[in-house]
Amino acid sequence: MATIKYDSVEKTYPDGTKAIPGISLEVRDREFMVFVGPSGCGKTTVLRMTAGLEDITGGRLYIGDRVVNSLPPQKRDIAMVFQDYALYPHMTVRDNIGFALRMMGRPKSEIRQRVEAAAARLSLTALLDRKPRNLSGGQRQRVAMGRAIVREPQAFLMDEPLSNLDAKLRVQMRAEISSLQRQLGVTTVYVTHDQVEAMTMGDRVAVMKSGLLQQVAPPEELYERPVNIFVAGFIGSPKMNLFESVLRRRPGGGAYVTFGQQELAIPDDVLRERPALRERNEGPIKVGIRPDGFFLSPNGPSDQSLQVTTEVVESLGNERMVHFIAPVRKASDADARDQRTELEEITPDGGTSMFIARVPPYPKVRERETVRLGVNTKGLYFFDEEGNSLL
Amino acid sequence: MSNATINGRRALTLSTRARDRVQVGRLGPSRLRIALSYAVLVPVTILFVSPIIYMFIASFKPNNEVLSGFGVFSPQDLSLNNYLSIFSRFSGPDTGTFTGFLTTSLLVSSVTVVGGLAVNSIAAYALARLRWPGRNLLLLGVIALVIVPFEAIAVPLFYMLDGLRNTYLVQFLPFIASPFSIYLFYSFFAGLPKSLEEAARVDGAGAWRTFFSIMLPNAKPAFATVAILQFMSSWSSFLWPVMVIDDPTVRPLPLAISVYVGTPPYGWGNIMAFGVMMVLPMLVVFLIFQRWFIRSVVASGVKG
Amino acid sequence: MLLRPKTPVASIQQDTGAAVVMVIPAFLGLLAFVAVPFLLAIFLSTQNLHFGSGLGPTWMGLEQYRRLLLDPLFSADFYRALINNATFAVVVVPAQTGLALAIALLLNRSLRGMPIFRTFFFMPVVFPMALVSVIWKLIYAPDDVGMLNTVLKVVSFGHIQPHDFLGDPKTAMAAIIVTSIWSGVGFQMVILLAGLQSISGSLYEAAAIDKAGKWQQFWNITMPGLRNTLVFVVMVTTILSLRLFDQVYIMTRGGPLNATTTVMYQAVTAAFDRGNIGNAAAITVVFFVLVLAIALIQRWFLREEREIA
Repeated sequence: MATIKYDSVEKTYPDGTKAIPGISLEVRDREFMVFVGPSGCGKTTVLRMTAGLEDITGGRLYIGDRVVNSLPPQKRDIAMVFQDYALYPHMTVRDNIGFALRMMGRPKSEIRQRVEAAAARLSLTALLDRKPRNLSGGQRQRVAMGRAIVREPQAFLMDEPLSNLDAKLRVQMRAEISSLQRQLGVTTVYVTHDQVEAMTMGDRVAVMKSGLLQQVAPPEELYERPVNIFVAGFIGSPKMNLFESVLRRRPGGGAYVTFGQQELAIPDDVLRERPALRERNEGPIKVGIRPDGFFLSPNGPSDQSLQVTTEVVESLGNERMVHFIAPVRKASDADARDQRTELEEITPDGGTSMFIARVPPYPKVRERETVRLGVNTKGLYFFDEEGNSLL
Repeated sequence: MSNATINGRRALTLSTRARDRVQVGRLGPSRLRIALSYAVLVPVTILFVSPIIYMFIASFKPNNEVLSGFGVFSPQDLSLNNYLSIFSRFSGPDTGTFTGFLTTSLLVSSVTVVGGLAVNSIAAYALARLRWPGRNLLLLGVIALVIVPFEAIAVPLFYMLDGLRNTYLVQFLPFIASPFSIYLFYSFFAGLPKSLEEAARVDGAGAWRTFFSIMLPNAKPAFATVAILQFMSSWSSFLWPVMVIDDPTVRPLPLAISVYVGTPPYGWGNIMAFGVMMVLPMLVVFLIFQRWFIRSVVASGVKG
Repeated sequence: MLLRPKTPVASIQQDTGAAVVMVIPAFLGLLAFVAVPFLLAIFLSTQNLHFGSGLGPTWMGLEQYRRLLLDPLFSADFYRALINNATFAVVVVPAQTGLALAIALLLNRSLRGMPIFRTFFFMPVVFPMALVSVIWKLIYAPDDVGMLNTVLKVVSFGHIQPHDFLGDPKTAMAAIIVTSIWSGVGFQMVILLAGLQSISGSLYEAAAIDKAGKWQQFWNITMPGLRNTLVFVVMVTTILSLRLFDQVYIMTRGGPLNATTTVMYQAVTAAFDRGNIGNAAAITVVFFVLVLAIALIQRWFLREEREIA
């Protein structure tokens, strides 16, 4: 059983900085766990602590059922794929892959056989006698993977292995890594800042910010039920449109939120499913609409659609990204930097923001035009003042 | 548009089109400028190198012609007599032999370099990459010792090693461990990507294994630099031999030529022949490995 | 929230074993042959110790220093040495650096065959200083058969008379200076050349567009770009010039009349010729303090500007 368990694992640097105040989480056997978050959130630190490349200053780390806090990397039975691949420049691909096995003292015949098997799996057989400097980025990455899989360790650790590849290659390698992991069935901890990688590859995803776990859940759950504004804004591309709004109730029992001078009605079944929202008083509230929560609706009802002025329209062939001016103030994480463009300003009556809607290519939408965008009100997200989801 | 910044002042560069205009009109420095450069450079170089040329020519000429103004450049009377006389002049244990001097220099320098490479590189690796108590303190100590010039410790060393006078040992032992070499290696190892080493650790290699299998093969430039610098320094070592060597059989070349000049009879032709023989091996090695030599010197400058 | 008792956390095993073994040889070597002698120098400088006298050291306190620095009987030689070292440094550092820079600038054009020139200028660096001294001793030979004398006579159409460069107190130091510059300029030149080549060509192009002339380009691009390299070269050359010994020993033996004696020469003759270890040690200590002081002053002086830039 190769589970990895973090029991209040923390990292405090000698000068007192608490990089990781404390993480508790269990990676199941054979699970593909992705740690994701913005730079500096601590995900790489967690990975390095798991590998034994950084000291753990508090809590306990279990690999399998051993406490490994004080074990050096050599003794942890893990394999790691580094961001810059860390291939030994003076050795051939064959020797790079076989290095660990030589360290373990395996017989030569066994080493050769295992290296060739790993190479075959990764389509590296033709390159076995080349040196890293004669390989392309994608090939190097595969050699780094080969080095990891040949050892049949208890767990794989991967530190942003795709970040140095170009976009097309990245898409291809994502699938290859996923399928490889499934075939081999090895517990994997994968670190990335790219939420697309996280969503497409992880069995579960751990979202981190400032050294703390925000949410650990399978990708769909993160997308549909983010636990706070940070996760909501981080997962999904383009970013969710988040804005400050006011919750109001109608005398008859319904509720709506404001969008500038316009209104969006909250469907009854949504209210039914969310007690926190249902019992909330009128007043300020933060609302999120994903870009694909919009659709073109020239004649839509006024409480389920919004009249906006488009600013920029990006046509991608299969869809359009419509950037429009919204007469609302952006809501964000308390310490997330808000990127305001010149088109956004804070006016006394609430401010304006630039939002994005993702719509089908037809009917055509022009720039600087007033359109009516329908809103999927069942897919609205609500958050309180602290940014926690109202569920 | 790109911006170049020097001293905080911005120098605007051109848009690509204007750049092209400048390029087209320019074919590198003008022909005239090149010709002028050569016109200055060639004579200056010849003038500069002339003492070396003088030495070579003088070594083939009879002693009285060496000291005859420009007469030495006449093509007559060239012979190998001076060289032969070296071997007859230096022929026994009381004068030393040329081969003896050469052997001493070679032996001492080689042991210093080889020993130094081994000892200094592993120490630098331990300081640069391993974790152990006292590491920072020792590193500070080494750096502090880098500024101590040999001259500051020559006298006490002389006093300490009095019993070892006139041996090969006393000529190389004090110089194997070298703070400067350690520092050069240290900078180099510290500059290698950490992930290489981490990968080796994760792959199961311990400290020694990592050093031999990963660090060493990738540290060839550092080894070359340290070897060359330490060799040059050891080969031309003079102050120390002056103090601890008076037995001609263990005398290194620089000291030997100095003694030669200090003990008549000698002729300048003979001395120049001695000089040529003394510098020829080094010169040949230099000419073959020029790039390495120059790279080493530059590397030591960059680290400074 | 349960309050967990603080469990002692084990940090990752360190490499102490291997590290100690790796460091021991160098450590012992440095300790025995650098650190101990260094401290010994200080100790010996407080002793009255004569080699070969059969007597052990006796305490003298700071007497050696007093003699060296204050007693007119003993200190004349030492002060002369200090002045000579200072003269040497003050002349050599700018002259050698300037010359090296000039040559580096000349070589920095994209000339074909630049490596050949570079090799020639670097050659003297490969010659042991002892050999360089011997060659120049020949060149400086007095009478009109000496090479330098001959050259000067020809160049001046007979006006300049033959001179005994090494035998004349007025010219001995200059002779040693020229020899030293010849020997060392290649070393600096190579470093400066590398520094020059590391300055991006597009900076010069930008300046040319901005209508900067060659001279302005030199001051505004080349010099700032070379700054750190120059600082290094100046500092190293200064320290090296304080260690002056080989040339003096071979060419002039410190004379004539102390015209070329140096601090190190004094120390060596005291220890070796006169066996006066105490005195020699004191000289050595003063020497080291001087070197340190100059290095620190230079560092402070030059470092400050570095930060502003």
